[in-house]
Amino acid sequence: MSTTATTDSAKPSAIRKMAPQELLRVEGITKVYDGSVKAVDNISLTVATGEIFALLGGSGCGKSTLLRMLAGFEKPTNGKIFLAGKDITDLPAYKRPINMMFQSYALFPHLSVWENIAFGLRRDDMAKGDIAERVESMLSLVQLDKFAKRKPHQLSGGQQQRVALARSLAKRPKLLLLDEPLGALDKKLREKTQLELVNIIEEVGVTCVLVTHDQEEAMTMASRIAVMSEGSFMQVGSPDEVYEMPNSRQVADFIGNVNIFDGIIEEDESDHVTIRCEECLHYVGHGISGNVGMSVGVALRPEKITLSKEQPQSEYNWCAGEVVEIVYFGAHTTYHLKLDSGKVIKAQELNNTRDLSCGLTWGDRAYAHWNDMAMVVLTY
Amino acid sequence: MTNIYNYLRNHIPSRQIVIGVPYLWFLLLAAIPILIVLKISMSEMESTSVSSMISWTQGWPTIKFNFASYIFLSTDPLYFETYLSSIKYALITTVICLAIGYPFAYFMARSPKHLQPMLLMLIMLPFWTSFLLRIYAWKTLMVNNGVINNVLMSLGVIDDPIAMMNTPFSLLVGMVYSYLPFMILPLYANLSKLDIRFLEAAADLGTSPFRTFWLVTIPLSKAGIIAGSMLVFIPAIGEYVIPELLGGPDTLMIGRVLWDEFFSNNDWPMASAVAVVMILLILLPMAIFNKYQSDQAEAKS
Amino acid sequence: MNKLFGRAWMIAVYIFLYMPIVTLVIYSFNASPLVTVWSEASLRWYVALANDGDLIAAVWLSLKIAFLSSLMSVFFGTFTAFALTRYKRFPGRTLLSSMSSTPLVMPDVIVGLSLLLMLVSLQHWLGFPERGLFTILLGHALLGTAYAAVVVTSRLNEMDKRLDEAAMDLGCRPFQVFRLVTLPLLVPALVSAFLLTFTLSFDDVVLSSFLSGPGYSTLPMVIFSRARLGLNPTINAVAAVTIAVVSIAVIASSIYQSRAERQRKREVAQAYSDANQ
Repeated sequence: MSTTATTDSAKPSAIRKMAPQELLRVEGITKVYDGSVKAVDNISLTVATGEIFALLGGSGCGKSTLLRMLAGFEKPTNGKIFLAGKDITDLPAYKRPINMMFQSYALFPHLSVWENIAFGLRRDDMAKGDIAERVESMLSLVQLDKFAKRKPHQLSGGQQQRVALARSLAKRPKLLLLDEPLGALDKKLREKTQLELVNIIEEVGVTCVLVTHDQEEAMTMASRIAVMSEGSFMQVGSPDEVYEMPNSRQVADFIGNVNIFDGIIEEDESDHVTIRCEECLHYVGHGISGNVGMSVGVALRPEKITLSKEQPQSEYNWCAGEVVEIVYFGAHTTYHLKLDSGKVIKAQELNNTRDLSCGLTWGDRAYAHWNDMAMVVLTY
Repeated sequence: MTNIYNYLRNHIPSRQIVIGVPYLWFLLLAAIPILIVLKISMSEMESTSVSSMISWTQGWPTIKFNFASYIFLSTDPLYFETYLSSIKYALITTVICLAIGYPFAYFMARSPKHLQPMLLMLIMLPFWTSFLLRIYAWKTLMVNNGVINNVLMSLGVIDDPIAMMNTPFSLLVGMVYSYLPFMILPLYANLSKLDIRFLEAAADLGTSPFRTFWLVTIPLSKAGIIAGSMLVFIPAIGEYVIPELLGGPDTLMIGRVLWDEFFSNNDWPMASAVAVVMILLILLPMAIFNKYQSDQAEAKS
Repeated sequence: MNKLFGRAWMIAVYIFLYMPIVTLVIYSFNASPLVTVWSEASLRWYVALANDGDLIAAVWLSLKIAFLSSLMSVFFGTFTAFALTRYKRFPGRTLLSSMSSTPLVMPDVIVGLSLLLMLVSLQHWLGFPERGLFTILLGHALLGTAYAAVVVTSRLNEMDKRLDEAAMDLGCRPFQVFRLVTLPLLVPALVSAFLLTFTLSFDDVVLSSFLSGPGYSTLPMVIFSRARLGLNPTINAVAAVTIAVVSIAVIASSIYQSRAERQRKREVAQAYSDANQ
């Protein structure tokens, strides 16, 4: 798949070292709707105990279907699901030791906060005193002790989210499923809630599979991310792996902003390669598994580009263009550079002083340059 | 006890029951009765039970059809005229309801938001009170020595009472009165959802309010117009109580003919034949309506 | 100008809708036996109503039938709504959905005639049912089921399916999901379905006329037979009583509903402003 991994091949997956015990194993799972539409196409994965595993993808990529199969709301057309070594593929949702925090929470509107949290416990023939004790501890975990008697509509969005979390944790599930956990909150509340959520999950120590379309949410919360498209995993890895070493154009494009140059390998050495593009010559400071003459893409994140008004002295890793757009974000500014070939690339500059640092403006001719470890060579 | 409960809760095929119960209910009370009507309409007067229609020939059941009722139905011009006149009155009722109800629904949808629930309730309120009593009330209003004539005569507008009762006029008043809410409700539902920005956009582009109404509002409320018209037209065709209480000898309606065939003449096959033709009459606008709705649904998806 | 015209139009329509009702009520206090000629105010017809054994018996019969038939309607209507909303694909689904709307679109005379002919055939074969209370009940319940199904279906359609899934996820078997989540949330819809079918039954004259047997005259049947013969001041009194009861109930329930709605909105706003402090 990837041609970028050679320098890192020595580094084993850090996660596997940390948490060796496998909790969830999915083998070749497939879901076909209406006899032909493959929502999930032959996916296999394992999730270790204590991990927060994110399924990231756009709408219709199959992430929700996969989650619903884990919960037991959908029957897989093919494949098996194992939880702690036990085959649960045919177990109905109400018998699985898995609980879910639903998108927009699905709190029972006719029950109070207390009753919502106790709902699952009551189904388990738990003693009344134990139920009360557990509910109280859940309420204090999410800091809603004062709100036990309220109905869901008497709570704010953030409070509802915490009730939903408490309800799904109350039965101490082996696996917690989170369906767009922050999707219903406004932007400002999200950051705060994200951290709270992760803290609580870590405090409880429950293993999570979460579904999101928001890459930032996936990156900040998950220990491992699976990028999904059209029912398949495109890449599975830790957030920094997926960001810094995307294995395909699609992943590079989906996660964050990226400039992709098309080129041909000109020189292929064990410690470096050079790639000839229409716009510039790339010198990559590590070896790749390609051959001379092969056409590849060179992915370069905007924040790894430095802009200047003077032409760099080096013979590679720079290009020149005209500033056609300046987008000010506050913390940083994104410049759109129209290269001589007509291609437009984006470069991001930190605004670390209060005057606009490089003093570029519309119509200026500018030079973009980057170092030899900044880019990723993509063969897909 | 709990064992039985547990057994049941694990073994009752809920899907079969949830589907089966209403299925049997409607099969027995809606589908089979219509089939029986169809059968009896093709039997002779003396033998109206189903069993007598089936005779056994060499071990095989054969059904004997008798089209006498239909032949009579098609040869006696009275029936044909009655069908036509039912359609005519239903159509006129629909048009009048639309003419009164559309502006009403339009103004209601434009009235202050906090008043709308009350205005709506006032439309629904008569619907909750007895339909029969409200029709009866029109009788007290419209008879020769009735309230309307009394008031008009005491005001000196007329010298002699106007003969309103038992005419097409009184029939139409009763029909419009009864069915008007059925026209207003879907129209209001539709018009209140109409995005005011469409109208603002039209005005912004220089369209006069009157032209905006014709070019934007009316086409956008087409679904409401059609739904309302069907809700009035279809039940109006088969109406019995209103023509019986407010209509006269010359306001022929098919529901009344069916009633008379059944209760006065005791002619079950004839009543059934009238019913079958009436069903066919209603199926046509229904089919058009359904087709329109499925087209709409398709266009949306 | 436009606004003035609109207001005038609306007022005219409301007058048209309420004039007959108001006249009925006013003339129920008329002393004269001539229904349309006002002489002086009196409670004479209310006294006559109280002493009219036929009418009183008819009222009780109608109440009984309306109560029982709307219970049946809500029961079967809920089943129908569930079958049609929860199971999107089963053999004969189209047939069920069209059968369930037949009573809505077919004129009462046809529903009445066909039901009667079926019941007569049934009686011919099995020896029962005798025409009377039970047959009227069946007719009203059939009509009511169709209406109740519409009311419950629309509520089920707007209900969040995730609530069911959440219940299942927390350990509910399918029937428990229904009992603990769906049913409690459905209660308002069941109540309005009950009220609607009760009203329909209490108002029906055509089905009852076809299906009733000797000795079973519902209130609308009695009113109808008297109204056919001419005007009858006792009917005005009946009308006034019915209208009073219904209006109070409808107005009270709509005031209650709008209060509950406002209360709810206040609480939601309160929750958010609390959280932001």
